[in-house]
Amino acid sequence: MTKKSIFPSLVVLLSATVLLSSCKKESADTEYPVIDVDYPGSFPKNCVDVSRGGSFTSTIRVHDNVELGSMSVEIHENFDHHTHSTDVESCPEVPAKIPVNPFSAIVEFPLPAGQSSYTSVKDINIPAGVDTGRYHFIIRLTDQAGWQTIKGIEINIK
Amino acid sequence: MLLQKIMCKFKLCAVITVLLQLHCVAVYAQTSSLSIRLFNQSDELITGGTITLSADSRRYPATEKTPGTYQIDSIRAGVYTLEAAAFRYQSKTASIKIDEGANTVLLHLSVGYNTLENVVVTGYSSNSKIRASNLSMHIVGETELRKNMGGSLVQTLSKIPGIEMMGIGAAQAKPTIRGLGFDRMLVIDKGIKHEAQQWGADHGLEIDQFSVNEVEIIKGPASFLYGAGAIGGVLKINPALKPQKNSFGGSLQLIGKTSNMLGGLAGNLYTRNDKWFFTTGFSYQDYADYKVPADSIFVYDYAVKLHNRNLRNTAGVQSGLNASAGFVGEKWQNTLYVSNVFSRSGLFANAHGLEPKKVNHLLYDKSSRDIMEPSDQVNHFKVINYTAIATRQHAISLAVGYQNNFRQEFSKYVAHGYMPATYPSNNGIPQNLEREYSKQVFSFQLNDEFKAFTHNLTMGASGEIQLNKVDGWSFLTPAFKQYTAGIFVYDKITINSKLSLHLAARTDFSYININAYRDWFYSRLPNGTQEQLERASALKRNFSSLTGSAGITYNLRQWWFKVNVGKSFRVPIAKELAANGVNYHYFSFEKGNPNLDAEESWQLDASASFKNENWYLEISPFINYFPNYIYLNPTARHDYFYGAGNQIFQYSQSKVFRAGGEMEANYRISRSLSTGISGEYLYAQQLSGDKAGYGLPSCPPHSATFSFTFEPQQMKHFSAPYISADAQFVAPQNRIVPPEKQSAGYMLMNLQAGSQFHVGKQTFDLNMQIRNLFNTSYLMHTSFYRLIGLPEEGVNFILSFKTNFNISKSKKHND
Repeated sequence: MTKKSIFPSLVVLLSATVLLSSCKKESADTEYPVIDVDYPGSFPKNCVDVSRGGSFTSTIRVHDNVELGSMSVEIHENFDHHTHSTDVESCPEVPAKIPVNPFSAIVEFPLPAGQSSYTSVKDINIPAGVDTGRYHFIIRLTDQAGWQTIKGIEINIK
Repeated sequence: MLLQKIMCKFKLCAVITVLLQLHCVAVYAQTSSLSIRLFNQSDELITGGTITLSADSRRYPATEKTPGTYQIDSIRAGVYTLEAAAFRYQSKTASIKIDEGANTVLLHLSVGYNTLENVVVTGYSSNSKIRASNLSMHIVGETELRKNMGGSLVQTLSKIPGIEMMGIGAAQAKPTIRGLGFDRMLVIDKGIKHEAQQWGADHGLEIDQFSVNEVEIIKGPASFLYGAGAIGGVLKINPALKPQKNSFGGSLQLIGKTSNMLGGLAGNLYTRNDKWFFTTGFSYQDYADYKVPADSIFVYDYAVKLHNRNLRNTAGVQSGLNASAGFVGEKWQNTLYVSNVFSRSGLFANAHGLEPKKVNHLLYDKSSRDIMEPSDQVNHFKVINYTAIATRQHAISLAVGYQNNFRQEFSKYVAHGYMPATYPSNNGIPQNLEREYSKQVFSFQLNDEFKAFTHNLTMGASGEIQLNKVDGWSFLTPAFKQYTAGIFVYDKITINSKLSLHLAARTDFSYININAYRDWFYSRLPNGTQEQLERASALKRNFSSLTGSAGITYNLRQWWFKVNVGKSFRVPIAKELAANGVNYHYFSFEKGNPNLDAEESWQLDASASFKNENWYLEISPFINYFPNYIYLNPTARHDYFYGAGNQIFQYSQSKVFRAGGEMEANYRISRSLSTGISGEYLYAQQLSGDKAGYGLPSCPPHSATFSFTFEPQQMKHFSAPYISADAQFVAPQNRIVPPEKQSAGYMLMNLQAGSQFHVGKQTFDLNMQIRNLFNTSYLMHTSFYRLIGLPEEGVNFILSFKTNFNISKSKKHND
């Protein structure tokens, strides 16, 4: 090979390496699990009202391409609107306020082993004396590979 | 020159051409030999140079007998051509008359790089220092740093194949070498380990890039020289050369960037009489929110509108101050360096970690230059004393350092998990102080280099004491003390003029004492009671390690080859051993593992390089195996007690295989036109544990860069003008591990132009760059903001201007 042909050859070789290496087949699971809150039976929906001094039934449908891991829900006040939901839609503005006796909960949603799709149903109690107002309902879902999907929903405790 | 002529005649020396600027002494004796002492303009001996004498196609290479003194024996009297080359200096060629007996020559070289080596940022590879090292190495000088100056030193260096940056916005970044960053590579500043909070993804390097004169990058396992952490390699910041004798001078530099409306000013002053010198410098930069090629950003499905395409609250300020004072003696030199680097910068306001934040846009968008919360502030103060002693046989150096790194992260208090909804007024921690890290480091490094027959031995010892404290209402890593000490021996054996053998062994000892940490708030226990949870247990651990390296270098006239196998290690950090806290920004409950072993790494490196007048080629592959890579494994489980319902991320150790390499080819088409291509490839796979089959986090995608440089001949008032263009092709990164996201490939185009020009006796440097010429919107896989999908900087014009002035009180060397 003459010296003059080295350079173009290197260019071709390198470009081919870069292009081909991105086509390699992947065996490892790289897909995040999915939280489906858009289907008709799901609850709560973004901006929904729930009542204190009672309970509501939370129904969340989840699925994964391989196998689901676990699911947890956290509810905390968002009276000063410090966080936004992960939703496109913003709920109607309400004035900010200071929490006095805010409701908070960390709830385990059961997922049976070996499932790739499941609808988890759980009753959540809201004590009577808690502050009314805007709360965040955050769903955390993992799959067996360790991918976690987060969904934040705004709910209104009345 | 008159002075030289007088000196030459007076001492009856050989006749040497004017070109060489030689001072010479000859002593008559029975046999013919030549001894050359090689100096720079500051009268410091230059080690590692290459000197060759040639006549009638016969070549006589000199061997370096003692540091800076080169010897050629058994030659006949006559006229020869002398070639002297040394890294960082302009090579010289001249004819020399050798008399009967012993001839002694004092030779001065002036600082500078040869033209071809200036073509690309990495192109200094012909020098003897790089050839002599058993590891793949790059050296970037001041001119190249200025021509390519990015938002941070790391961005500037990321042009080098194998060096990637993990960007945190436009003005801060941390380096990775072949995909290894954080605590898996070292930064050495003036002989001392630079210790910041390098474990944090949103923490920058904390080095003032205006004070950096030269950077040496070692790619490969360098623990045998530098101890724990040098697994991926070392980024070595070399101090500026000492001022010339009887000189006074300085420089002033201005820089401006359009993407984040950065304005910067830097300057320095130096003075030296015969033996004493003093230097001082400062820099100040102020920048606004940086521009991205997007009108809105999606944090999950929530569309965040951007005001004027500015990434909200990413403005900042940076400043640096430094001074050095020293003494240059015949046998010993001492320099005291003092420096301080300060930075304050905002973080994107609409997401902290993965958490979407709603902020008052009217307030935040009022000014693009103000820094609101979240923000961080870092101050790094450093004192280093460096002593070098040269005897006939030994070159001894001792660096002793003190560093104080103080970092604060400010964010509005947000209750998570069991934290109280309103911040208690009597808590003792300021309400906006989310985290605070304070680190004090005392360290030393002692090296002794000497020659014995064909052996060039370096023996050394190092030690470090670290005192770490934490504060703030959020907890990530506990306070700890750490003591480390190590000794090493490195032998370079010259088999013949071409082949050298490198052998090294090192042992290190480390002790870590971690303080317990309890939450300041109460968590609800499963039995209904409340408790301040212990987030880190007190822990004391000892680690010891034996590392080593074996390699060969084979140097031919145009080709050189290296093969090296080395073992490196690092000690687990406090967070990896003891953390038991929730990182709410990432919804992760990070569980440390007190039983972790010191991480070990075996690496085989090879490289082949070729250089002639028109070509420079280099290929440097490597394979790497970790028997126990420390990995933060995101599990499938949530924790409802310590983890407050968050996903458990468990520190674990797994077997990891990595392979890859870099290649470079530069070709000079004509006197003024040259072209280059460089590329990097990296593959990583976990072989055991929960994530067997997966790669590693923050793995840089493969990439290739094509460049063209036009350097017209000297014009009347201009010297070294250049125009260059480069196109960088980055492949998609699809090999990811939780919690990463796949990143698409992209192409970036950059332009550079500049020149030095002369007005009277004054010289000015003007450098211009256009980065991301097509305003491409792209996601950099290794960027801190990648997880929330924030694009990198859009088109960016960078203009820098520098002027130097120098008043030499005596023009001994120049006229």
